Amino acid sequence: MTAGLTLAAYAAVVVAAVALEVAARRREAPGFGEVLAAALRIRPVRVALLAGWLWLGWHVFVRVDWQ
Amino acid sequence: MHDEPAGRREPRAGAVLAGLATLAYAWWAAGLAPFSLGATVAVVGAGLVAIAAGGRARRPAPRRVTVRQAAPWIVLALAAGAVQLASFVQAPRDDHPTISSLTNALLDSQPARAAALACWLALAVELARR
Repeated sequence: MTAGLTLAAYAAVVVAAVALEVAARRREAPGFGEVLAAALRIRPVRVALLAGWLWLGWHVFVRVDWQ
Repeated sequence: MHDEPAGRREPRAGAVLAGLATLAYAWWAAGLAPFSLGATVAVVGAGLVAIAAGGRARRPAPRRVTVRQAAPWIVLALAAGAVQLASFVQAPRDDHPTISSLTNALLDSQPARAAALACWLALAVELARR
């Protein structure tokens, strides 16, 4: 039940992201890519996001005990 | 008859070669022992190379985005972070799955890990280009 709630929360985030992107395209508002691109032009944000991306790769592909 | 100019053909061939090389590398790296120094160097090193490659081919500056325009995305990112954090600090993991515990199950096989690693590298290039 608790796992189901957590999975539902993740799914809700994904659905909200899709809805936001669709709404942004209809209103010609900035979508995820544009917001991300604008954020990446701010140097501290760029460093943090790229470092976070490296950490994510290390966490997912190295720090895992495969069966 | 409809030969493409060499200038258009070369980048495409280069992209195909780069894609194949990335897949081969990802296959090799996905087979390395977890938690090992070799796997760390292979993954983080390739990520750094991908970021450097993307940084050398930056896209033109995007149009200006105000904080107000970005607010819905910032709120969504915070919500996603809150869900992840709430799961992370609770136990057992089976009842409170994190993103990485969910991906671990999906990436159990070497082909799946290699494909995911290649995608991660491609996205690193794309992130760095922006």
